[in-house]
Amino acid sequence: MTKTLPSLGLITVLALTGCGGNLDSDDSGTAAAAYPERAVTLLIGQDAGGSTDLIGRALADPASTDLKQPITVQNRPGANGAVAAKELAAAKPDGYTIMVFVGSLAYITPLAVPADQAVDINNYEVVTGISQDDFVLIAHPQTGFTTVKDIVDAKRPIKFATTGVGTGSQLTQTLLFNQAGVDATAVPFNGGAPALTAVLGGQVDVAAVQLGEAKQQIEAGKATPIVTFATQRPTYMPDTPTATEAGYNVPVQQSRAIVAPKGTPKEVIDRLRTAFGKSFADQDYQTFNAERLLTANEVDGAALLQQWNGSLSTYKDLVAQHKIDLSGK
Amino acid sequence: MSEVIDGFAVVLEPTNLLYCLVGVVIGMLIGVLPGLGPAATIAILLPLTFGLEPVTAIIMLAGIFYGAQYGGTITSVLLRLPGEASSVVTVFDGHALARQGRAGTALGIAAIGSFVGGTLAIVALTFVAPLVAEFALDFGPPEYTALALLGILLVSTISSGGRLRALTAAAIGLLLATVGRDDFTSAERFTLGNLSLADGLDFVPIAMGLFGLGEILYNLEERHRTVHAPATVANVWPSRTDLKQSGGAIGRGSVLGFFLGILPGGGAVLASLAAYALEKRRSKHPERFGNGAIEGVAAPETANNAAATSSFIPLLSLGIPANATMAVIFGALLIQGVTPGPQLITENPELFWGVVNSMYLGNILLLIMSIPLVGLFVRILRIRATVLAPITVLITLVGAYTVNNSVFDIGLVIAFGVLGYLMKKAGFDPGPMVLAFVLGSLLETSLRRSLLLFDGDPTGFVTRPISGVLLAVLIAVILLPAAQLLRRRTQAAPPATAAASLTGATQEPGPAPAAEAEAAATTPATTTTADRTIRREEPHP
Amino acid sequence: MNTGPAAGPEPAGGTAPTGGSAPAVGAVPVDDRPPPAGPAANLIAAAVVVVLGVTAITGSLAFGAGSPSQPGPGTWPLIIGVVLVVLGLALATQARQPGQAERFTRGSLLVVAAVSSMVAYVACIATIGFEIPTFLLAFVWLKFLGKESWRLSILTSLGIVVAFYALFVGALDVTIPHLF
Repeated sequence: MTKTLPSLGLITVLALTGCGGNLDSDDSGTAAAAYPERAVTLLIGQDAGGSTDLIGRALADPASTDLKQPITVQNRPGANGAVAAKELAAAKPDGYTIMVFVGSLAYITPLAVPADQAVDINNYEVVTGISQDDFVLIAHPQTGFTTVKDIVDAKRPIKFATTGVGTGSQLTQTLLFNQAGVDATAVPFNGGAPALTAVLGGQVDVAAVQLGEAKQQIEAGKATPIVTFATQRPTYMPDTPTATEAGYNVPVQQSRAIVAPKGTPKEVIDRLRTAFGKSFADQDYQTFNAERLLTANEVDGAALLQQWNGSLSTYKDLVAQHKIDLSGK
Repeated sequence: MSEVIDGFAVVLEPTNLLYCLVGVVIGMLIGVLPGLGPAATIAILLPLTFGLEPVTAIIMLAGIFYGAQYGGTITSVLLRLPGEASSVVTVFDGHALARQGRAGTALGIAAIGSFVGGTLAIVALTFVAPLVAEFALDFGPPEYTALALLGILLVSTISSGGRLRALTAAAIGLLLATVGRDDFTSAERFTLGNLSLADGLDFVPIAMGLFGLGEILYNLEERHRTVHAPATVANVWPSRTDLKQSGGAIGRGSVLGFFLGILPGGGAVLASLAAYALEKRRSKHPERFGNGAIEGVAAPETANNAAATSSFIPLLSLGIPANATMAVIFGALLIQGVTPGPQLITENPELFWGVVNSMYLGNILLLIMSIPLVGLFVRILRIRATVLAPITVLITLVGAYTVNNSVFDIGLVIAFGVLGYLMKKAGFDPGPMVLAFVLGSLLETSLRRSLLLFDGDPTGFVTRPISGVLLAVLIAVILLPAAQLLRRRTQAAPPATAAASLTGATQEPGPAPAAEAEAAATTPATTTTADRTIRREEPHP
Repeated sequence: MNTGPAAGPEPAGGTAPTGGSAPAVGAVPVDDRPPPAGPAANLIAAAVVVVLGVTAITGSLAFGAGSPSQPGPGTWPLIIGVVLVVLGLALATQARQPGQAERFTRGSLLVVAAVSSMVAYVACIATIGFEIPTFLLAFVWLKFLGKESWRLSILTSLGIVVAFYALFVGALDVTIPHLF
């Protein structure tokens, strides 16, 4: 330890000049054809370990092999992804920051929060759609409900668990019971697992949760599936009718997409789309989808925007038509 | 039974042994670092598990989880920095012991207690997992309300400061828990329009700020120059007397921890709190608690490890993750192609038993590792305070970032650090605030859900069997000390306790409307006579 | 409950026997705690609590207080606010009782300096990464708050930065903003 001060100072100065990490942003003149030259950050607006996070991580691996650069997953949980969306909007549109965007943030959350907090998907560039996640309405076996008609015929007030305010779980059930004329009270929980637990324990009569969460319980006979809320029967649940088939207009699915800041050059978007295309084709990823009961929705940006904008306006209409206030006030 | 034996064969395969070791080591290191929790770590390490067999992967991830429980104790005791909610209670007596030069004793008894608690929980898990899992499902919002209420009452009894101030701190903690978007109506409460606050405040920045930074700032002013020379001599390991004294605490802590840990979303915090409060209640000299009572470390540490172990039960037996870490492990299992559900034990017995049995091994490994490590960690205390302080501060600040990857959280830690300093100056103990914060949101959400289930009729609480029982326990907890107090005041009492109850009784004003005040005022026997003992450092004779 | 702040050792009745094991070791620390604050400080603390309670009450009324059987978002904060006001008033009645609180001393200025350094840290970190602010904070604490030698301060500060880098950026891959 006999280093003297001056040499320490020299080393420090030399080290400082050797910058080149995350903070050192771009050398913007470079052609997009050289993209990507360094690691790409994939923001995820949900907690580590959740569905969205795992989907993002499953995609990151094969895509980064194709891009020949690492794709670093960064979790920025908060407000169903609004925190991450805000960070994305502020990021440079150079393709080095992208995000896994959940559909509910775009087309359900705006129905429940004040306008200034709603996130508009049209303020971003969509790279590609990823997959759809379906909701299934399940009931505790002791209730004896197997169809929506059973619930209606029971002519008693029922309690349903939701996964939170402004979620697909709340929207589907509120719309359904409203259209069916059932006296139903929402009991919000914080996420899928607690809502599922509430149904399994008989605390509530029914709940709508995501397929992947409910499947095992259904197979074990601990929960009875009533309807799903997709437009067509998901391949994973061929025997359960959809709400549409049962006569109710409740087409709600969770969806996810890769999104970039507005103004990202088209070449970069296309390059990313190709890379993620490789992920979609990857065998492990497809197995992952099958395991989690996700339905692929690998459409391009324009098609996805059409889907999501369509969903938002549909839900706005439905909610207005049935005089529902998702924000619970 | 043969599957259980087969499970051991699985565990003892060299690869699995290795990954078990890797997992617990990583877990311990993560636990030492405030901020980064096991859930986030496991998520980061997920890619590593892709190439592994399912059993091996889960063995490693499970090791990280309960290893982190061990690690969290270390900073609680040495630096007064609880890394997890379940380590907060350990701070009270653990750090007091460290200040008395008995850090080794504290860490040692924590290691032993954790080992015993974890092992007993695993044994219980082996035999009754499916049964208790089903029972846990019967716990709904009304039961959680009763538990949370019990917890908050307990909080007010365990603090070593003045009763009134403890209640105030607890009330502020409850208020802090309301910050954020309301779960039921999406109304923003006290968020000042800040998006980062929309999901509410996180436990970790609050605890790290109030305890860690607050303490450092306070000491900066005090300029305590004393070096807590542990002199290592008599203090690397608990003595036989210590062990004997803690035996009961460990036993009771294991049972409490096991049962409370099964409850999804409840678990380890409540367990550590309840175990501590139980010991304090049972003790003939409750004033010792908060000043270095060995049971005050043994009980919560045992309970939180037992709870950590039993929190696997909902995942393994029902396929429902009980907390954030279990959710990530759930995800890891899915990636491996195993879908956790009620049929896991029949469809994948080697996985189930392999994981369960690996826990025995993991706990043994942790205990063995603790032996040299305790001595090593205690040496940290020998670092001069002037050097240790900036290191701790920086670990705290950076650690705060890692919770949500948010710079805002670093600002929060600093704000709470200042608050912690001011509180100490004003004579308030941060313990009740933090614990009430954790329990507060559980209480409110459970209460509102219950009212929704009951259509606004509160008698439902009493008519449901489990919540009815819990409420009865609650009332007993409140009434019993009141009865004791009445009895004491009408009889001649031993000088010490008479002094305590008299001064305690004159301290608080008359009945206050709040239920907490009412309950707390009836238990002055547990008020310590010396409020300033939270700051006193002289060793007790 | 307490026997007065500046008093020496506590009365024997109040001290708890720690029970059994090895006697506590180490030097007896110098008790250089600041003097207790007067009633004014206690009153201020009580006032802060009351103000907090009032803020909670006004806030909750704004969100909608609901009713006991149909609680709204404001119901619970309202209850807490009321409790805080009551507790604050109770604290005020106790303000005359001798010192739970402590006076601020010249040492408090050190605290102000320390907090300023931390605020500066968090302000810079997003723009210039954590390495330089970490070095500077450590250095300031060591040299000025801790009065350590130049050499120790610089070496330790560098060591901390290196260790943090290796741990957080290298081993744990945490996404903290960093320069290098």
